[in-house]
Amino acid sequence: MSEPGLRIERLHVRVEQKQILNGIDLTVEPGRVHALMGPNGSGKSTLAFALTGHPNYEIVSGTATLDGEDLLALAPDKRARAGLFLSFQYPSAIPGVKVANFLHAARQAVRPDSLPPAKFRQLLIEKMDVLGMDPSFMGRYLNDGFSGGEKKRLEMLQLAMLAPKYAILDETDSGLDVDALRDVGTSVNALRASDEGRNTGFLIITHYPRILQYIRPDVVHVMIDGRIALTGDAELANRIEREGYDTIREEIIARA
Amino acid sequence: MPEFSRFDQRVLGAGEREAALRAFETTPSHRGRPGSYWKIDLDALDFTGLDTDPGTGDVTISPVSGRGVIAVDLVTAARDHRDLFARAFGVALGAMPDKFAFLTRAFAQVGAFVYIPDGVSVDDPIAITYRTTSARFFPYTLVLAGAGARATVVERLTSDVPDTMIGSIAEIVTESGASVHFASVQDLRDDARVFATRVAAPGRDAHVSWATAELGAALCVTSNDVRFDHAGADAHIATLFFPTGSQHVDVVTNIQHNVGNSTSQTVAKTAAGDLGQGRFLGNIRIAAGAQHSNASLRDDALLLSKHAHIDSIPALEIAANDVRAFHGATVGAIDDEQLFYMTSRGITRDDAERMIALGFFEPAIEHFPTEALREQIRTVLAAKVA
Repeated sequence: MSEPGLRIERLHVRVEQKQILNGIDLTVEPGRVHALMGPNGSGKSTLAFALTGHPNYEIVSGTATLDGEDLLALAPDKRARAGLFLSFQYPSAIPGVKVANFLHAARQAVRPDSLPPAKFRQLLIEKMDVLGMDPSFMGRYLNDGFSGGEKKRLEMLQLAMLAPKYAILDETDSGLDVDALRDVGTSVNALRASDEGRNTGFLIITHYPRILQYIRPDVVHVMIDGRIALTGDAELANRIEREGYDTIREEIIARA
Repeated sequence: MPEFSRFDQRVLGAGEREAALRAFETTPSHRGRPGSYWKIDLDALDFTGLDTDPGTGDVTISPVSGRGVIAVDLVTAARDHRDLFARAFGVALGAMPDKFAFLTRAFAQVGAFVYIPDGVSVDDPIAITYRTTSARFFPYTLVLAGAGARATVVERLTSDVPDTMIGSIAEIVTESGASVHFASVQDLRDDARVFATRVAAPGRDAHVSWATAELGAALCVTSNDVRFDHAGADAHIATLFFPTGSQHVDVVTNIQHNVGNSTSQTVAKTAAGDLGQGRFLGNIRIAAGAQHSNASLRDDALLLSKHAHIDSIPALEIAANDVRAFHGATVGAIDDEQLFYMTSRGITRDDAERMIALGFFEPAIEHFPTEALREQIRTVLAAKVA
């Protein structure tokens, strides 16, 4: 029996013939919050897409398991059913597919028959309220004509409705104003306090430490050039805020 | 020549029927094969047998209430409502450039006539259902909306017998300020051939909204035309088709702005699966002098198999200089990023493809007048996408 967790070991990933990840080791334990920080282009989103199975991301070597299950052997839908969730930085618009129908299909796929339709609707309205979303959202086409903030709120609504075992939030904070960011924090914290989401492990990918004021990380990693360059506690995020990534990069070069 | 003297002479005299049949025989279809994948040559179709058996079918017209409203079969209309009938029959068709409209005209007998008097509104949709019961059928729908009248008409085309050939005409005459919502759903057996011509001629400040769904038939050839001869009129045209199996669907819309201050919006959502072949030709013509016309055309084509084809061809011909014309088109398979997004939520690839494909039609489906009709269309589309 393997230990629970989203365990990534020596992961090397290539995108369009270009090696982006050069050996990632990282474990997200159930119920814990890991922040993954780093400058633009360091490979953070690549890790998110490789773990969720985007076809353009080629695994060169290494492993990724979810509570012992080999993630990399699974198609994207099976990874989701195993309990993995990615909040997209740029979610696709799907005209003609209504938010409520999509959420219902996703919930049924991930947690079959767990909610009768009336309960589902009630739950949906509750979670939308936490995120400051008007019920009219349910009848809109998925991300079609949504503002940046509306898209991010919808990603958070999906997170709340699916209550996955492990959630990767890819730059959910980017482009959000203070009010929206606070709503995201409230929603995530409500999930973490709920029965369904008590054991959800988080990997929060972010460029700025801002979101971490709302969702407090247990562990902070800094990724530079496709490697985890530094791991520390919440204080590391504050240091990045003060000093920027360049000092850390120099420190690592000096150490090598 | 068929014995046209045995046809109803009040709908159309034998001499005019003969002339129409001759015109059918001599008029080219103007629908050459778009490519070698297109298996059916419209100009080489076999129309023999019309002489001996022009065929027939049934029409059912839902009961309608409303002051002075008439909804009767075509022969009754020609007999009992002579003046009203003459006010509409052939008026929207005009010179009839369409080869197949001549064919239907020659044999026009079974059909429906709907008349809404001036200023009368009919809320419930008027349902006209055609059922093909023999080898050939030529149903004719004629709608006349008087000044300021309002109505919704839903036409359905079905067949019970194999290998039928259907020619149909729908003619919508809206007088000044009238508003007609016309929907046509073609759900014939998949061995039928159908040639449909639908024409609207909106009067001054009139509104025509129509929605067409071509779901069945082995071969479906349709022309949807709006001719603006009066200012202030507007038309919304939504069309969808989805050839699967080895179906061929060829839809042309002709939007003719002959006078200015007229507005048209055309939306075409077309998909093809299996060996399905489709062609959508969206013609918009704005005549010289038709200033302040406003025309938009949006056509999207979705290919769901490697062997399916759709030619989606917009054609804007603008002779006036102070107009607004918009056109946007896409052709392609289901977007990989959309698929990845949906599967990343646990939805299987098959289910995701089905949801995306059905969603693709929604902007056209929403133009159909009742939720029951929209659900019927969704059900047929869902069975085709599965």
